[in-house]
Amino acid sequence: MDQRIVDFIHALRAKGVRISVAESIDAMRCVEIAGVADKQFFRSALRASLVKEPRDLPTFDELFPRFFGLDTPPPLQQPGGGMSPEEREKLAQMLQQMLASLSPEQLRRLFEMMMTGQGMSGSQMRQFIDEHTTATQMTTGFQPWATRRAMRELQFDRLEQLLQELLQKLREAGVSEAALRQLEQEARENREALAQQIGREVGNGLQQREAEERRRRPVEDLQDRPFEELKYQDDDDMRAVINRLAAQLRTRVALRQKRANKGALDAKSTIRANLRYSGVPLDIRHRRKHLKPRITVICDVSGSMRAVTGFMLMLVYALQDQISRTRPFVYYRTIADVQADFQQLRPEEAIRVVPERVQGGPWQTSLGSCLETFTRDHLDAVDRRTTVIFLGDGDDHMSPPNPRAFETIKRRAHRVVWFNPEPPYRWGREDNHMHIYAPMCDAVHHVSNLRQLVAAVDGLFS
Amino acid sequence: MFNTIGDVKTALSAQRYIPSDEIATTVFLAEKLGKPILAEGPAGVGKTELAKVWAAATGRELIRLQCYEGLDETKALYEWEYAKQLLYTQLLRDKLNDLLAGVTSLAEAADRLAAEEDVFFSSRFMLPRPLLKAITSERPVTLLIDEIDRADAEFEAFLLEVLSDFQVSVPELGTIRARHQPMVLLTSNNTRELSEALKRRCLYLHIDYPTAEQELQIVNLKVPGLPPKLAQQAVELVQRLRGMDLKKHPSVSETIDWARALLELNIRHLDRATIENTLNVLLKFEGDLQRARRAMVRDEGTRRDEFGRLRRDDESGRFRGN
Repeated sequence: MDQRIVDFIHALRAKGVRISVAESIDAMRCVEIAGVADKQFFRSALRASLVKEPRDLPTFDELFPRFFGLDTPPPLQQPGGGMSPEEREKLAQMLQQMLASLSPEQLRRLFEMMMTGQGMSGSQMRQFIDEHTTATQMTTGFQPWATRRAMRELQFDRLEQLLQELLQKLREAGVSEAALRQLEQEARENREALAQQIGREVGNGLQQREAEERRRRPVEDLQDRPFEELKYQDDDDMRAVINRLAAQLRTRVALRQKRANKGALDAKSTIRANLRYSGVPLDIRHRRKHLKPRITVICDVSGSMRAVTGFMLMLVYALQDQISRTRPFVYYRTIADVQADFQQLRPEEAIRVVPERVQGGPWQTSLGSCLETFTRDHLDAVDRRTTVIFLGDGDDHMSPPNPRAFETIKRRAHRVVWFNPEPPYRWGREDNHMHIYAPMCDAVHHVSNLRQLVAAVDGLFS
Repeated sequence: MFNTIGDVKTALSAQRYIPSDEIATTVFLAEKLGKPILAEGPAGVGKTELAKVWAAATGRELIRLQCYEGLDETKALYEWEYAKQLLYTQLLRDKLNDLLAGVTSLAEAADRLAAEEDVFFSSRFMLPRPLLKAITSERPVTLLIDEIDRADAEFEAFLLEVLSDFQVSVPELGTIRARHQPMVLLTSNNTRELSEALKRRCLYLHIDYPTAEQELQIVNLKVPGLPPKLAQQAVELVQRLRGMDLKKHPSVSETIDWARALLELNIRHLDRATIENTLNVLLKFEGDLQRARRAMVRDEGTRRDEFGRLRRDDESGRFRGN
């Protein structure tokens, strides 16, 4: 059972659920206490100790039945239940003969399992598959193909032929027809069970291999690479980099906030703090300003901008504890509020689906009309505590610039900041309207790699 | 205390709380492992209530720490009572004069005073806040740390230390160890991500809105006088409202409030006028109210329902289309 739980934890990790070693030890202890007799309790015990994010619950619910559920392959049974002792004797004899001359080795083992009902445990089966097939070298997305490949390489389809051969021999040896029919039936059931077990272990093998590979890959320092090159990076690498940058940024911000003496004198707190100096105000306390910003991000998701938008949104979501509220919007030809996506999915998954929320194709960015829509429908996302961040190149292929709408947003917002990955010399050329919007912003940052992006985000907190 | 998960269920049910298997198992594990529980879920599904009934079921005292932005150690752990210290110094001035009588040098006076320092930095002048109270309590307690997501990240880090060892160090007094390890329940409304370190140390419990049957059970338990048919209809309506695209969905506590209101108004049958008049108990935003009313009116137009209930399918469909 322990091995099964460990396998389950590996599979969860492979699906992106973060589980530490301490948590897996907890899970073992919880199972020990809750017992395995009642499946509902067993399930709750694992869930309480392993899954700590609501969004990982579906993954857990999906994987749990695969490991502990009803669709675990039925155990093999010993065929020959309806035979008399002599007949069984004959069966064993014939089987020995056939097995002795049977090759290749893997087929012999399979046939033996099928006819004797003595199967393998999950890990034995996985080792067996690893040794004899190449199926686990494929990727998880190809699981059905991998299973088929494993079956082919094990020559699984020859089992039927071997079974018929054996039955024929037994028939010649005078075993009754009824007993043979039952034997055939039982052997077929065993074969079905074996097929299921192979399929499942191939899947487990694939997941495990992927999880291991992911662990082995070092995280490169991607900070100074331009965004276009980062577009094709793996999700996990991106997440690792972003998390590290976010941690750095968080420490910096927290320290700065602690040392900042902003705001009005807090008389009550000062008196209280200075009682220990018998009322001499040595230690002056200030009222803390609202230090946590509210952020509304309006992102361009046209093809050229997707990578930088992805990084920006991931960074903002990694810094959630430093921000009191985030409202993300994306635009292309149309604009859409995508907060719901970020509430339901992991940020990196949400980023993959949000471009579908808006319409647009190549050369169809329509910033002007999107601004118009925003001021009409979404102005509630902007108030005097909100910092509005525009993230885009400022291109507009469909509509004229719309400084009036921009001004409306600016009037309502605390600050308006623009992050632009295009170099400044391109601003205002051709369809680019950056030169019109830039002077109206409180700050404009040129961000072409992660280092610049982090510096720009850092600026939001000061 | 509890020997099986079934015991937990019975004990919590005896406190008029209906625990799901999930909740019972987690509480049982927390008791056995001594680990804190982190309960997350929408507002008003009974997270805080769970702490109360847990404390009551085990006969422990409940100590509550409500978190908010800017909460720090002096509010959560302890604070020296400077005013009291000053007052004592003033009142004891004569005594101090006696003590210092016959001293010839300044150094000697300082030494004598230093020998008495312990008097002023003792637990007599310490104002214990909830965390310290929970740790120093003579009897076992249940500690509820409510809405931890509202506190700052630094406070969370500080809390980690307390929760992992159940001891705190006060520089003037030394380390204070818990006499009885308190049972801890943290709640979060998920307004921000909690740190992984905190989650790692806790058992995780996700409490969601109950299913229709569970909610009906809850209503029957909490509002016993309500006619069964009315309770059924009320719960059905609430479940439908949760399916709609609203700013804030009605919580379980609001369902109970509404059921109580229906009982007080002595209503026997749930018709449209009654719903319209009492809907403000369930929905707290004007926009939500109007949306729900519109859905009802539209429903009347298309298909007259026996009690004018909302049809959630076309309502949510309409808003998804936007």
